[in-house]
Amino acid sequence: MFISYFGKLKGKKVKLSESEIRAIAMQAINELGDNANPELVKEVVEKAIKNSEYVPIPETQSQTTGRVILTSFGLNHPGIVSNVTKVLSDANCDITDLSQKLMGDFYTMIIMLDISNSPKDLSEIQNDLNVVAEKMKIKVYLQHEDLFRFMHRV
Amino acid sequence: MQYDFEEILETIKMTEIEHFDIRTVTLGISLRDCVDRNIEVTKQKIYDKILKYGKNHVKYASQIERQYGIKIANKRVSITPASIPFDSFKLDEFVEVARVLDKAAAEIGIDYLAGYSALVQKGMTNGERELIKSIPIALSETQRVCSSINVASTKAGINMDAVLMMSDVIKETAERTKDKDSIGCAKLVVFCNVPEDNPFVAGAFHGVSEPEVVLNVGISGPGVVLDAIKSAGKIDLQQLAEVIKKTVFKITRAGELIGREVASKHGIPFGIVDISLAPTPAPGDSIGDILKAMGVEDVGAPGTTAALAMLNDSVKKAGLMASSSVGGMSGAFIPVSEDQAMIDAVERGNLSLEKLEAMTSVCSVGLDMIAIPGDTPSTTIAGIIADECAIGIINDKTTSARLIPAYGKKLGDYIDYGGLLGKAPIMDVRNLSSNNFVGRGGRIPAPVRSLTN
Repeated sequence: MFISYFGKLKGKKVKLSESEIRAIAMQAINELGDNANPELVKEVVEKAIKNSEYVPIPETQSQTTGRVILTSFGLNHPGIVSNVTKVLSDANCDITDLSQKLMGDFYTMIIMLDISNSPKDLSEIQNDLNVVAEKMKIKVYLQHEDLFRFMHRV
Repeated sequence: MQYDFEEILETIKMTEIEHFDIRTVTLGISLRDCVDRNIEVTKQKIYDKILKYGKNHVKYASQIERQYGIKIANKRVSITPASIPFDSFKLDEFVEVARVLDKAAAEIGIDYLAGYSALVQKGMTNGERELIKSIPIALSETQRVCSSINVASTKAGINMDAVLMMSDVIKETAERTKDKDSIGCAKLVVFCNVPEDNPFVAGAFHGVSEPEVVLNVGISGPGVVLDAIKSAGKIDLQQLAEVIKKTVFKITRAGELIGREVASKHGIPFGIVDISLAPTPAPGDSIGDILKAMGVEDVGAPGTTAALAMLNDSVKKAGLMASSSVGGMSGAFIPVSEDQAMIDAVERGNLSLEKLEAMTSVCSVGLDMIAIPGDTPSTTIAGIIADECAIGIINDKTTSARLIPAYGKKLGDYIDYGGLLGKAPIMDVRNLSSNNFVGRGGRIPAPVRSLTN
C-alpha cells in the first residue's frame, strides 16, 4: 500500500510505502536518540529519501495535449485569414488542418492547431486573437480539442 | 479534418447561442475533523479547512472556463451536514458556525455555501434540534449560507414532527428576512430522499459517505434541448425522445470533461456529474419553453405531466450512457421563479400549485422556489411539505419543497430577488385546513415496496 507524503522535500511531492516510512522513522530514532529536534529530523528524513528509490508524483497536468480548435465566422472581407494566421505564427502555433466555407456573405473558418511549442499559453493566444477579432469585426473562438472529442466521439 | 464542420459548429452554437453552460462546480469538503470543545477553536478549524481546499476554487474554474470556452455559471462549496460534526453545540454556537461559514465563503469568493443541514427522517438528536431551531437566525444573519433538512425517506417514512417544526422555521425565516422579500426561505430546502452528492445549491451537502474532499458538477442546458426540439419539427414521440437523448448525451459529456479537469487542477477526486436541466430566467433557457415546444399550449395544460415525464426520462437515459459518474438529482428542475415560461404560466392562471405538485411526481426535485401568501398558516405549509414527501417515499424518488411564504405579501404581489433566483408571483394556496392531520405529529410509517398499484 502506498501513501502520499506531501511534505516540501526540495519542493517535490514523493510517494512512499508504509514500510519505507517505518524504516526511515527507525533510522531517525537510531541516529538521533534523545538529541532529536525538528531540524535534525528533517535532515535525516531528507537523506533517507534521497538514498531510497522514491517515486515523485507528477504535478497535476490538466491539459493533456496542445491541440486546440479555432473557429471563426462573420461577414466575409479580405484579410481575415492573413490576420488570424499572423497571430498564430507569431505565437509559434502549428496549423495542422484548415478549412473554410462561404455561405452567401458569411464565412466560417475552422483551424486545428498544436500550441505545445508555443511560448504563449492558451489564454494569452486567446487575448491576441480577441484584438484581431475586434479589429476585423469577426468572431474567433479558441477551445481545447478535448471538448469536441468528448462531445462528438464515444 | 478530424471533426466535421457541422460537429464543431454545433458545439459553438450550444455555448454561444443556446446558453449551454456548466451550472455549478461544487467543491465538497468534509468538516468532520473540525469539532473542538472550544467554539473558538472549532471556528478557526472550519475557516482554515475551507480556505485550505477552497482558496483556488474560483481561479481554477475560471482557467478551465477559458480553456474550453464553456461558461461555468457558479462556483460553490458544500460541507458535511453541520449537525453531524457539531452535534454537541447549542443554538447560539450553531449561529456562530453559520457566521464563520459565511466569512469563509466570502473570503474564497463564492456566492453560496451549502450544508447547514440535518438528516432527521427517523428522529432527531439534541444537536439536530438545536440546529433546526437556529436556522431562522442563521439564514437571516448570513448571506451565503444555505440550509437543507431531510424529513422523510422511503426507508424511514415521514417524520411529521420534523415537518411541523420545519414549517414553523420557514415562517420565522420569512419574517426575519421580510426586508428582502423573505429571501431566507430561498436558501432553505426541505427534502425527502435527499441525495448526498447533489452539487446544486441550496440543497447541496457533502454526504457522510463522501471522501475528505470531492468535486461535483451540475450541468445546465435547457436552451440546447429547446433548440433541438424546435428544429426537429413535427416528428413522433419516439423520434423526439431520440432527439432529446442525443442532445443531452453531448452536454453530459462536456459536463464530465469540465468536472474532471477542475478536479484535476485541484488535485482532488472527481465525484459525480448531475445531469439536471437547470433553467435560468434568461430567455429561452427554460424547462417551461421545452414543454411548450413539445406541444402543450402552456405549462399546466393537460399533457404537461406526461411531457415532463418523457423529458426527464430521456435526460436520465442519455446522461447514464454518457457518463459513468451520474449522481445528484439528475432530471429536470421545475422552479417557478427561475424559469420565465413558468412565471408566465402562473401569471396567466394556467399553472396552479396542485398541477406543479403533480409534475413533481415525475421531475427530479419538487416544489421549488414557489412564493405563497405570507399569511399561509404553518400547518398548511406542513401539509404541502407532507404531500411532497408522500410523493417521494411512495415513488422512491427525491422530492423537496422550497416554499417562500413572502412576509406581508398576498395573491397578486411579487417577490423579486434578481439574478439567478429571479422573480415569482405569489401563488394561490387552498384555504382549507390541514391542522388536525399534521397536528397529530409522530411519523408516517415507511411504505410497502410490493403490491405497487
